[in-house]
Amino acid sequence: MKREIIEKVANTLVRAGSTFREDQKEAYRKAISTENNVHSCWVMQQVLENALVAEKSHGPLCDDTGIPHLFIEVGKNRALTGQLMNEIKEGVREGLRRLPGRPMAIKGDDYARIDQSGGLDEDSGALAPSPFLIREVEDDNLLRLTVLMLGGGPAIRGITQRVFHKHSVQTVIDEIVNRAVPAVSQLGCSPCTLVIGIGRSQFEATSLMMEAMAKGDYNVQSEFERIITERVNESNTGALGLGGKYSVLATFAKIGPQRASGVRIVALRPCCCFEPRRASVDL
Amino acid sequence: MKYLKTPISEEDIANLEVGDVVSISGYIYTGRDAVLPKIVKHAEDGTLADVNVDLQGQVIFHTAVSLAGVGPTSSNKLEIESSFGPLSRHGIKMHLGKGAIKPETVKELAENNAVFAVIPPVTALLGSQTSDIEVVCYPELGMEALHKIKVENYQAIIAAAQGKSIYDK
Repeated sequence: MKREIIEKVANTLVRAGSTFREDQKEAYRKAISTENNVHSCWVMQQVLENALVAEKSHGPLCDDTGIPHLFIEVGKNRALTGQLMNEIKEGVREGLRRLPGRPMAIKGDDYARIDQSGGLDEDSGALAPSPFLIREVEDDNLLRLTVLMLGGGPAIRGITQRVFHKHSVQTVIDEIVNRAVPAVSQLGCSPCTLVIGIGRSQFEATSLMMEAMAKGDYNVQSEFERIITERVNESNTGALGLGGKYSVLATFAKIGPQRASGVRIVALRPCCCFEPRRASVDL
Repeated sequence: MKYLKTPISEEDIANLEVGDVVSISGYIYTGRDAVLPKIVKHAEDGTLADVNVDLQGQVIFHTAVSLAGVGPTSSNKLEIESSFGPLSRHGIKMHLGKGAIKPETVKELAENNAVFAVIPPVTALLGSQTSDIEVVCYPELGMEALHKIKVENYQAIIAAAQGKSIYDK
């Protein structure tokens, strides 16, 4: 195994679990400077201060350090071999031990893993990452790994379901907002970042949602994304549900190819106040 | 800012109002989905002393305790929110977590002179304010066991007190 790859991946995972990106910090600063609700403003100041402390100490942003998800972009002159995939997984294991990740791998057979009767593995590194998601890219020489750390709260409130669009974008937006408002309110850890994928199947919509989470930028918002953010913010949920105008900081959406049909599959994840926790590295 | 030290007195709790920002110091308990139903059963059976637990004037923080630190989980999960009433009747003065709770839970808190406080999920900040971590009972639950921790200046907002809730629209 190449030590250099393992080291790069481990460091990237630690960065994903401990660091706000600059666009994320700026989104918080803007929200803090214009939020009128004193409680929500206080919460957002605490979240930003927490991020600065976590970045300095290379420690977890949140005690739910999340499940590692791996997004890989491959140009046509590069190859993702079985060996490289094993090195990446080893890097994830090391990164989880270094962060440290919350030891939350469930032990046992199928039934024991469902009802949690087999207990927890004490090794942070025992937490298996999700399957690789691989996309081709135009840059022929690129092989980029993005590590995303997905927490449990947004997984509870996420929804992947069909929308009968009635040949109207407005219908799709209305349904997304209808689903997002209660999801954000019940999440607890707002302000959220809404992440959306729209595709032809549950698998494709979720893959697109993951891509939106891996690539989204708080400084770049399409009209589609901006409208959803503004409409969900009308709910006045605010930070931690305490009221205020920043229930959502931004929306990251990825709209894929669509089926000749009256249905669109929409995957929606209300990312918590620390997400998307992500970092990238070129391998 | 109102400063509270555990064990918290009945008078201190009675003086709290929704929206107050409080600073909490002293020893507190931690527990969540897995252990709280067991503690409720001990409370109702009168066997808390058997597991070395004294709830009088205490705070229960809805968190796991692990190498990654501490941080609130959602207090409106079934097993957690259903513990508010029974634990308040047996001495808990403050339930510390996050998320909107039901009106009937707000009422139960008021009937027992107890409150619900919301703490931001700021694990990196809480790390430097947490020490003396020990497992009190049910060690087989690992990070979800009942722990006792010493906290210094945990800051939280009172979200439900005296029959009112910050989540009331």
